[in-house]
Amino acid sequence: METWWRALTFTLGYNTSVVTLGAMLLAAGAGMVGTFVLLRKRALVSDAISHSTLPGLALAFIVVGLVQGDGRLLPALLLGAAASAALGLWAVQMISAHTRLGEDAAIGAVLSTFFAFGVVLITVIQSMAVTGQSGLTSYLVGATAGMLISEAQLIAACALGLLLAMVVWRRDLLLLCFDADFARTQGLNTWRLDLLLLMLLMAVVVIGLKVTGLILVVALTIIPPVAARFWTDQPLMMVALAALLGALAGYLGVTLSSVREGLPTGPLIVLAAFLLFLVSFLFSPRRGALASLLAYRRLRRRVHLRQGLLAVAHEEPIFDGLTLKLMRRRGYLRRDGVATPLGLAAARDAEHEERLWALYRELHPDDALHREHAGLVPIGQVLSADAIMALEMQLAPTEGAR
Amino acid sequence: MMIDARLDKAVIASPLAIHGLTVSYDHRPVVHSVDFVTPPGSLTAIVGPNGAGKSTLLKAALGITPRLSGDVRVFGRPLEHEARHLAYVPQRSSVDWDFPARVIDVVTMGLFRDLHWWQFGTRSLRRRAMESLGRVGMEAFADRQIGQLSGGQQQRVFLARALIQEADLTILDEPFAGVDAATEAAIVEVLKSLRDEGRTLLCVHHDLATVRDYFDHVLLLNVRRIAAGPVDEVFSERHLQATYGGRLSRVQLARLTEPAEIGTEAR
Repeated sequence: METWWRALTFTLGYNTSVVTLGAMLLAAGAGMVGTFVLLRKRALVSDAISHSTLPGLALAFIVVGLVQGDGRLLPALLLGAAASAALGLWAVQMISAHTRLGEDAAIGAVLSTFFAFGVVLITVIQSMAVTGQSGLTSYLVGATAGMLISEAQLIAACALGLLLAMVVWRRDLLLLCFDADFARTQGLNTWRLDLLLLMLLMAVVVIGLKVTGLILVVALTIIPPVAARFWTDQPLMMVALAALLGALAGYLGVTLSSVREGLPTGPLIVLAAFLLFLVSFLFSPRRGALASLLAYRRLRRRVHLRQGLLAVAHEEPIFDGLTLKLMRRRGYLRRDGVATPLGLAAARDAEHEERLWALYRELHPDDALHREHAGLVPIGQVLSADAIMALEMQLAPTEGAR
Repeated sequence: MMIDARLDKAVIASPLAIHGLTVSYDHRPVVHSVDFVTPPGSLTAIVGPNGAGKSTLLKAALGITPRLSGDVRVFGRPLEHEARHLAYVPQRSSVDWDFPARVIDVVTMGLFRDLHWWQFGTRSLRRRAMESLGRVGMEAFADRQIGQLSGGQQQRVFLARALIQEADLTILDEPFAGVDAATEAAIVEVLKSLRDEGRTLLCVHHDLATVRDYFDHVLLLNVRRIAAGPVDEVFSERHLQATYGGRLSRVQLARLTEPAEIGTEAR
């Protein structure tokens, strides 16, 4: 616990601090890129990219190992990973462009083939006479504990560049995601923008290899954006929030994993991200599960109450249990089911309002207001006073005639 | 300047001149060698039966759909150079309305190409967006999530996004599809006021009964160009028969082409 606290407060030493910062920047970048990928409806592509890094990673390890005896040279490994990821992406594009297979089928075929090839190469490496083989497994699930300071600096610098790129291209990418046809009429080359987005995604995956591992890096591009969606309806706000939530997940995950040697960083970051998602899913005031449940119950109560009052106004009997309960609790009905003076007054008001709404619907059938409020909200909350007066004036003759 | 000396004067003056445009899907031409010179300052309808290639013609002209052959000029210059004179209102169904965006976000997208990346939310941007929304009667909805809008309101938002661009040429793809009568009237009013400002509008339209009321020029299209010109001259029984084949009855045709009888009962 004490170690974790020191990690959280960046007092566990320079190394851990740089690693933590690097992971946070990476996760923020992943959240931003992931938001656009998600909005472009290509979330699966990150899966294809991450799995197709493995053969390149392994081949780079073999080449470096044959040259210098130890295969662990981060820049070379990342370059190898990027090269084979690019090849995998190209294969996906080719398959979906030139066959009748959809992109999802192409992704499934490519990612499994590349991953299988990578696993075969890793078994070859295990039997080779080079050192550092065990370090390779850290690229599968991520390990920041033994990370060299130079490696951490490289990751942090790349992630910073990524963040800057996202800020520069945010509007172009947003246009692409919302309305690609419109974007093209604005003089944007959507083909090149799509490629840019894929390159940025590839950069995230490759930089993230060492931190979360190739299997779990996908989670960083999907979970924070999805969690962010619960809190906002603004596109660029969603991008910013995804970055924030990603950084928070990276912070919690890396610091937790630095508590003891051998704790896997990737899974801890992903679990932290999931926790943030869960909180968003449950407690978001706009789209959260709890808010939806409460809104549903409020609506149900309002409908029952309104139906009960209208029944009283029309002197019809009420049978529904919930309606009776609500009416009694409000003091509209006596225990024996007879309306109180308060209930009669409320019923008159309800009926009057119902008639105002009906007149309004008749006069302005295309107005969207009635769709949402259909007589359940006091009309004064929706229409301005002068509009209500106008309605009352129109309603008055028929009222008088009754 | 990029203007080709061989170009016709009418082509140079035209906001959108199409020459020999052909588009094919799976080796089947859906638009075949169409020539059309949009008259400047006109409100033009592109009319034809389903599958006649009306939307495809526009998308190919705008470079959204690849073209097999043909030349497209915007004020006599290639499209790429004139993108900023051009606004496009796509079909409502072409975007995901569940997208995380408010009405104002969609409208400001019309100005994105004028903004630099170091500029963050500016007040003038919001003001201009509100002006555009005002022209289509949607100011009150500026902060609504776009998924909460009715079809007619969505179309108004798209129109506001085009208005904010202050383009010389606005191209609309079925702006009246699935909208309520009040929205249709409001959109027509905006289009006519733009035309009266001297701007050019080109609009895919499917309701033959309203062509005479709304438009001054018409292009009749069924894969090929059937006829084009002022509505009074071109929107005739003979040309409609040629465009729609046997799909329109004598009675319908007579009613559509008789100016005196155009009214709501003709629908």
